[in-house]
Amino acid sequence: MAERLEALARRVQSDPAFLAAALADYARSEGLDEHGLVKALGCAPGQLAPLRLCQRPRAEPAGQFRRDVEQIAARFGVRAAVLAEAVRRSDALRALRGAGMGERGTLMAARDRDEEQGPADNPPGEPR
Amino acid sequence: MYAAPGNGLVERGVSVVLSESSALPSPEAARALHQRLLDGDPVASSDLAVAYLDWLAAWLARTNPRDERHLCDTAAEDAILGLSKRPAAYDPERLGLEAYLRMAATRDLQNLRSRERRHSRHRADWDAVELAPDAGKYLWDEAGDPARIVERREEAMANETVLAPRLAAAREGLSEAEAWALELLRQGERKTAPYAAALGITHLPLAEQRQQVKRVKDKLKKRLERAGGPHG
Repeated sequence: MAERLEALARRVQSDPAFLAAALADYARSEGLDEHGLVKALGCAPGQLAPLRLCQRPRAEPAGQFRRDVEQIAARFGVRAAVLAEAVRRSDALRALRGAGMGERGTLMAARDRDEEQGPADNPPGEPR
Repeated sequence: MYAAPGNGLVERGVSVVLSESSALPSPEAARALHQRLLDGDPVASSDLAVAYLDWLAAWLARTNPRDERHLCDTAAEDAILGLSKRPAAYDPERLGLEAYLRMAATRDLQNLRSRERRHSRHRADWDAVELAPDAGKYLWDEAGDPARIVERREEAMANETVLAPRLAAAREGLSEAEAWALELLRQGERKTAPYAAALGITHLPLAEQRQQVKRVKDKLKKRLERAGGPHG
């Protein structure tokens, strides 16, 4: 069971519709390996594959992002704040990648942005 | 109210009870899961994979023993991802979720096979081209002659071109399940099980399955006869 789920979770890492993509972006930007990611999220290692197979939290309507993050966090026993941060970071990185910045530039820009705004559960564009 | 995945799935107060006999969600739980996919519930795609991926890959491997395991696994993944991304493509009024996933995975497996065949054909074409100056090589092996390979391929393509409109005519007005049974018939499938899976009747006693499958096959054969298809 775990083996196939893990393979599927790896496969959807490149699909932004899945949480796997956001978690991969976050882990890369933080320099975390799988163990480090599990530790940061505070979940059991066996929960990582099913967690990655969740859909990315919805940005709309207002408040939906927080509700989705809380639902996912409660279900898999992960830290909601870290999960929200991972998705926000990923959104920012993808936006910057779309704007044509290099990986090094995007990481620096994403970190600058985080330092300016501080952690919050709102996705980009959602009222705080 | 949540439970660990794979141990009975609970979401929004709707219990996704795994039936004891098959270890799969009950029909009611499957419907609830599908509804959650339609609603955009972010956990539903994970629950779908946890509940069905292993079972589906195992079913594909069992019913397609000649296919490599990695193909069956990929086809099962494709079917799960397909439903996660396009839940509206599945109509629970027409087919049970298990039957739909079997049908989708079988289709995906066929697509993967075709892709692999195309890939190896492409490779064979290049090999044939590279070996072509060595004409003597084919004197004792006419079947391996690149000219014969191309000829056979052209014949097959011509047959497909003639059959395609007839099959399309025969397919008109059929339900999705019947259309899938027609595809099985076209491929020369003879076993009851794949038809029963396509028709969503695997829960019925075997004798009844055979009866229903025969009835549908007879109906489809008549349609093909009228359309002048491969059984006509």
